[in-house]
Amino acid sequence: MARQQITERVIETDVLVMGGGIGGCPAAAKAAEHGLNVTLVEKSKLERSGKAGQGLDEIGIFPRDGLTPLEAVRIYLGKSSVYDRGGTERVVNPRVLFKLFDNAMWALEELEKLGVNMKYINGEYGWMPWGFAAGGELGPKVELRVHWQNVKPEMAAGVRKRGINVIERTMVVDLLTHNGKVAGATAVNTRTGEFIVFKAKAVVIASGDLERHYNSPTPHFWKYKMGLNTCPAASSGDGQAVAYRAGAYLSCMEMMRPVTIRDIVLMQPGQLHLNDGIPAKVFTWKGDEISRPPGPLQFMELERQGLAPLYYSLEHLPDDFQKRLEVHIADETMLRLKMSQDRGFNPRTHRYQIVGDRAVRFNNTGIVIGDNLEALRGVYAVGECTDTYGIGAGGTAVAGFVVGENICNYVSGAGEPPLDKAQVEYQRQTALAPLAVKDGVEPLELECTIRNICEEYGGTFKSEGRLREGLKRLGSLKREFLPRLMAPNPHYLMRCLEVRNIMALAELHLQASLERKETRGLYIRLDCPQRDPSLDNRRVYQRMVNGQATIEMVDVPELSPDFVKEKK
Amino acid sequence: MTETGPDKHYEERFEYPLWKMIRQRAEEKDISYNAAYQEILPEYLKLIKYGDTEWVDAQIKKYNQETAMLKERESQRKTEGG
Repeated sequence: MARQQITERVIETDVLVMGGGIGGCPAAAKAAEHGLNVTLVEKSKLERSGKAGQGLDEIGIFPRDGLTPLEAVRIYLGKSSVYDRGGTERVVNPRVLFKLFDNAMWALEELEKLGVNMKYINGEYGWMPWGFAAGGELGPKVELRVHWQNVKPEMAAGVRKRGINVIERTMVVDLLTHNGKVAGATAVNTRTGEFIVFKAKAVVIASGDLERHYNSPTPHFWKYKMGLNTCPAASSGDGQAVAYRAGAYLSCMEMMRPVTIRDIVLMQPGQLHLNDGIPAKVFTWKGDEISRPPGPLQFMELERQGLAPLYYSLEHLPDDFQKRLEVHIADETMLRLKMSQDRGFNPRTHRYQIVGDRAVRFNNTGIVIGDNLEALRGVYAVGECTDTYGIGAGGTAVAGFVVGENICNYVSGAGEPPLDKAQVEYQRQTALAPLAVKDGVEPLELECTIRNICEEYGGTFKSEGRLREGLKRLGSLKREFLPRLMAPNPHYLMRCLEVRNIMALAELHLQASLERKETRGLYIRLDCPQRDPSLDNRRVYQRMVNGQATIEMVDVPELSPDFVKEKK
Repeated sequence: MTETGPDKHYEERFEYPLWKMIRQRAEEKDISYNAAYQEILPEYLKLIKYGDTEWVDAQIKKYNQETAMLKERESQRKTEGG
């Protein structure tokens, strides 16, 4: 397709929502309820897009049954066991977390109003008896067992009913800004290649996180159609990259989460004990049973002893638990049942390989929300692309409603966004350039190379020399190959734009890792093996200022009693 | 070489009971798998002891006891090994 053939369209709106998952839909619906003109841009199809597109089996956390939001924050931040991170208190903004907990029960009602059935199959709320959030410390009955096969179709119907302009198969290229304020965004249609300019007073970024900068053992959850609930389209960090380029702060980009993961070809047996009480048993490759390896470091020790690979087994589970697991899988991703069978995989007898020490992205990395919006006014973010994704799918939906509720205050005083033609033209040329390249580089090829660099020079065990070398190599790739990305069609153009985003964020990841010169929890710097107390409660902030990358350590705010009182 | 790995059951034909019911219902009524699932799930849940916490607790206790024995065995092995 020749670039000349591509048309351009300008759409004016009050609020532009980037991403139509379980964060974007509530934000769009709530903003529209307040009479705002809302446009939602979705890279895929609204009915089944995003990480919850296939379904969910549980959602939380809802402070209730004697648990107050404040107490929930304290427990959540105080537990070193949470996600093996060595204490979230170091990196999560407690004020944002409090706001999410405080609004959770309200959001539950709002979800029902949006048309999402929150009750379980028996018509009642299914409060789970086995609370597992924050290592189970939040207690039972704060998470909701949901039968969410239909959550996305229901949400999509709710969004469409509210008259929101939904533009599907469209990827945002970059944000448009003017004097430190957002003025809209540019995007391309991934089917027709149409270049679209959005004039918007405010933008809500709800586009998920970045997971494609590290290799995954095949098959891993996001690996193409294996897991389906976290597919590549949902994990290229587009929102984080566009926010960064536009001048917003990103935080904690150095944080990785080395985990022992199961070979979840088709399911997550580890979730079973979380829901119903009994974990899998663990066997060495020789068939000897061992006590459960709790984390990646212990796994590595076993590996050194020559006992790996290790396997999970569900053989010992009584039939009743096998059925519960089956329902659990079907609730989340029914298709996995079929895929499992097609591969001759019998979960009742076949063993799951445990893959040790895989670096995956940390939950709380991304766009800083809450106290630092002054960096780029008019930009809001919800869900996994933010630095406070602490409470999973529940938190994402809550954040969506909170943003949708409050955004009209900003929009009413924002004024008409000016359209900077030079900025639009620059973004247009950048976005469409791969269409004109012949004999260039395939986007997937470059993406794999970026992943290899992160694996080799970042990963779980970091050190300054390796990180510097990794940055050098990334820089070289960026100079040499990024301009040579080629796209024979608009779909490939989307892939090229994704690689551009992945590369930008991979670079930020290595830079931030250089900045945090200590070992903390499972953030491991081999050259700085001790925890540095001066970095307690401090996060790495990264921001683009006048085209220059800046990096600084910033204190995490306190959750003062005044804040709690005032916000309530 | 003796096969001691985890693959012994891999090639056996297996069908999830739940999936089988969903597939059959979908074919019978010519409806989508999702629609069939909505119908099947309430029936299937009746087969599961969801409310029996006493039974679940007993199972967990049993599991924990087994794990504790394993841990003891492993710690002894470490001590023996120096």
